[in-house]
Amino acid sequence: MQASSLIIVIAGLFAAAALGYFAARSAPKKQPAGSKNTLSSAGSASQSESDDPQGSGTEDADIMTGAGRAVAQESGSSASDLLERLRDAIEHIEQGVILCDDTGAELFRNQSALRYIEARDGLVLVEAAVEELMIKALTGRSVRREVELFGPPAQSFVVSAQPFTDGAGLGALAIVEDHSLRRRTETVRRDFVANISHELKTPIGALGLLAETIRDEPESEVVARLAERMIVEADRAAHTIDDLLELSRIEFGDETEFDQISVQSVVSEATARIAAAAGHSGIEVVVDLSPQIQVLGDRRQLVSAVFNLLDNAVKYSPEGSEILVTAVVESAESDPQELPLGLGPSGLSTGDRVRLSVADAGIGIPRKDLDRVFERFYRVDRARSRATGGTGLGLAIVRHVVSNHQGNVSVDSIEGVGTTFTLSLAAIQPLQENS
Amino acid sequence: MNETRIHYHGELEEVRSDLIRLGAMVSETIGRGTAALLDRDLHAAQVLIDGDDVIDDFCLGLEERCYRLLALQSPIAGELRFILTSLRLISELERSADLIVNVCKASRRIYDVEFGPQIRGLIEQMGVEATFLIRAAIDSYVDADTSLASALDDIDDRLDELQVAYVQAIFRSHSEMNLNLQGAVQMAMIGRYYERVGDHAVNIGERVMYMVTGWLPEKSGAARQRLREAEAEAGVEAGNSRAQNDEAGEAARLDSPHEEGSGEVPDGA
Repeated sequence: MQASSLIIVIAGLFAAAALGYFAARSAPKKQPAGSKNTLSSAGSASQSESDDPQGSGTEDADIMTGAGRAVAQESGSSASDLLERLRDAIEHIEQGVILCDDTGAELFRNQSALRYIEARDGLVLVEAAVEELMIKALTGRSVRREVELFGPPAQSFVVSAQPFTDGAGLGALAIVEDHSLRRRTETVRRDFVANISHELKTPIGALGLLAETIRDEPESEVVARLAERMIVEADRAAHTIDDLLELSRIEFGDETEFDQISVQSVVSEATARIAAAAGHSGIEVVVDLSPQIQVLGDRRQLVSAVFNLLDNAVKYSPEGSEILVTAVVESAESDPQELPLGLGPSGLSTGDRVRLSVADAGIGIPRKDLDRVFERFYRVDRARSRATGGTGLGLAIVRHVVSNHQGNVSVDSIEGVGTTFTLSLAAIQPLQENS
Repeated sequence: MNETRIHYHGELEEVRSDLIRLGAMVSETIGRGTAALLDRDLHAAQVLIDGDDVIDDFCLGLEERCYRLLALQSPIAGELRFILTSLRLISELERSADLIVNVCKASRRIYDVEFGPQIRGLIEQMGVEATFLIRAAIDSYVDADTSLASALDDIDDRLDELQVAYVQAIFRSHSEMNLNLQGAVQMAMIGRYYERVGDHAVNIGERVMYMVTGWLPEKSGAARQRLREAEAEAGVEAGNSRAQNDEAGEAARLDSPHEEGSGEVPDGA
């Protein structure tokens, strides 16, 4: 039985008991939901609705209502004990559960579902969907609707409602499931497969085509030109494979060697590697940091991370612009949430953080892509990335490097203004010269 | 409290919660409209254009309920101001959604226009600011927060500045021959739509001030105008009075044979 079906069963059990309980009372009822305005398919929140053809919720609820009674009788528990247990169970599940009676008046709402009525943002549209589906469920239909919220943050919900009856009368049960994480994971997986096949198949396909053309080409000049193209495509494929291997090494962390190293030396090495490309575009890399700042880390990995950030900055900055590399130590007291890592066996960690930033005045990254740029092979603009080169793995490498160093990386960007990547790493006390 | 009053307060609460929903629908629309424009997603734009009918329908229903409350419950004082404010908010929000529909329609007209990174960034920021302003305006209404309501005008300055920068970027792009005149005009209109959404949020803030305090910013202006009118009237009266005095004096002079410069020519002159 699927998790959602199980929830329906448990909720059905509870619903039946609750309906009976409330039916026995003559408490004043709330205004029926049907008297309000309803949002049938608001264009502002993407919604898609379908009838549940199986109507399984109704059947399950009826069946388990009987089973619930049997359990209660066998164990000798009173109905109110069972009701309390079911209430506790449903209160603490992550799905939202809402129960209404035959007039549409709400009888029960668990903790998770409270956030929809308390919200002031797009989540209130989930509540609107719940109310609407409840009304439909009271007509005997099992219905289901997906609600996509643009946000930010983007969220995805599935609301389902089904009618059920027991001795006390007709009622409706709605369940709200948050599918945001699942939807995001599906998107990332789908894009990853598409992107990796593009990145790997494109140069291989080009190589095959070029080789076929050369085979039948009589003119030596054309052959030479095509051979040059083959070399470029082969280099590209080799570069991608190199980056994949490096990413894999960093990910497993087998060769990681932690030493006390100066941030300045890491930045100098990365800057030297990018100097030719930056010079070619007339871009100046300005470094502003204290030589005293030290971290405990793997030099090779950190150089690779900073180089990848610089490489990105150079690729997406206009000619003649400036890239600024800065590093500051932030006191642990100023940001107690990041405290303290106690990194490494040396016990040198001060709890302070080194914030190493690479800021450019380039084209920037659209807001919707900001939380995806660290994915492997993710491209903000595929057409542009083809022109600038690169493997689409640079920022994934950066993320894994800082992860190995128990740090984090963040990005701040405005399109047309520029982008700043910031690495946050644990700072350590500089070694004394006489020690 | 009797059953009728309980029902009445329940209805007031429903108006409030439906206005929150309307605000959420409009906020969602702004984000989606901006994304449709930037992604050149004509399908998403069409969905939003069609979806505006749902918002209009929702607004009409909500408005009718407010009128019914006014007609049947005869609200007074704070409750009357709440319903009147809600009515104004409905139209402000409905109009905001219309403006985003205009953005969507414009996105079809400029489908072939390439946006540079700076223009894209400014559009995105205007969308974020407009969404923020609408959300803040709704918050001020729900919390009856006069501080936030009165701050909306200043917060809106950010959106105004973005719109100015956006128009300048369009001019630059046009002068660099990256954007033709027709495209530039359409693009400039888009900036204006976002800016107007911000103005609607400010209007909501002013109405919230009225809901809580009974005061409207326009009252200051109206008072100034009345003062000006009164001064002008007083000035006219004073002028009339001076003129009358002058006329009277003149008459007296004419009537008086001893007055110097009188029109009468002495005999034998």
